[in-house]
Amino acid sequence: MTEDDLDIKLIKHIQDGIPLTKTPYEDIANDLGISEKEVTDRLKDLLENGKIRRLAASIAHRKIGINSNAMTVWKVPGEKVDECGEIMASFEEVTHCYERPTFPGWEYNVFTMIHGYTDEECENVIERIKQRTGLSDYVMLYSEREFKKVGVRI
Amino acid sequence: MELSETDRKILQRLQTNLPLTHRPFLDLAKELGLEEDLIIEKVKSMIENKYVRRIAPIINTQAVGNSATLAAMQVSEDKIEEVSQIINGYSGVSHNYLRKGRNCDIPLNIWFTMSAPSKEQLDDNIKEIEERTGLKVRMLPTTKKFKIGVKFKIA
Repeated sequence: MTEDDLDIKLIKHIQDGIPLTKTPYEDIANDLGISEKEVTDRLKDLLENGKIRRLAASIAHRKIGINSNAMTVWKVPGEKVDECGEIMASFEEVTHCYERPTFPGWEYNVFTMIHGYTDEECENVIERIKQRTGLSDYVMLYSEREFKKVGVRI
Repeated sequence: MELSETDRKILQRLQTNLPLTHRPFLDLAKELGLEEDLIIEKVKSMIENKYVRRIAPIINTQAVGNSATLAAMQVSEDKIEEVSQIINGYSGVSHNYLRKGRNCDIPLNIWFTMSAPSKEQLDDNIKEIEERTGLKVRMLPTTKKFKIGVKFKIA
């Protein structure tokens, strides 16, 4: 089996959850017929090359009370995108920050996903972003309903 | 189930990488000044009570070869249920939300993310959604990534 094939087999085996035992990687290794070292080596590689972002808990943040989710979109002049993107990314409460395309009628080119326990908390972050970037043209698109939320699977 | 200070401490730590050691929960316990058995018991309980969905690899869809995009649609009130269900039906759709502009009226109200094994398949799926709903889908793929790092302030 190639390394790639093994990676796919491994990810598919644990993408819905690792065994919750004292020795999860040993148990995974036994399931797949390989050594524990192969399991942890492959995971180390996958984390290093970025195919896996993290091996961690997927938290149901709404259940914990983090109910406020403001996808805030900004109109940023082309020459300021890099600088503003970096500033926005530096905020802990900003979980995602991307530049995206514009089209006629839609001029907001930088998107920040902001989560908080309250709307006030989100808006506090937005105020601070405004201060540090000097931007004033933005829209807060709060989530009203969640139709679907699942993890990335292969 | 009410979240205790210990629960929050554990949840906070669980958001970052699990140790890749023979006894990862033991090592986690040492970090937090707790016992291995308690950590495992708490993790199981938090999954049961749906505070945690799973402890698993968080996969970078593009790094594993997929094409992905954010997409938005303008959907009238009476069609929201139907259109959201159509979008949900695609296994490549991971997030699908109804959003509303707070400080400004924005007509685009259904926002979703979709990934597919190729750009062609992604475009085909989007085209299919347009045909099935009779509505335009605006694709807004990432042109530059500044940050992706989901980490909440739990403790």
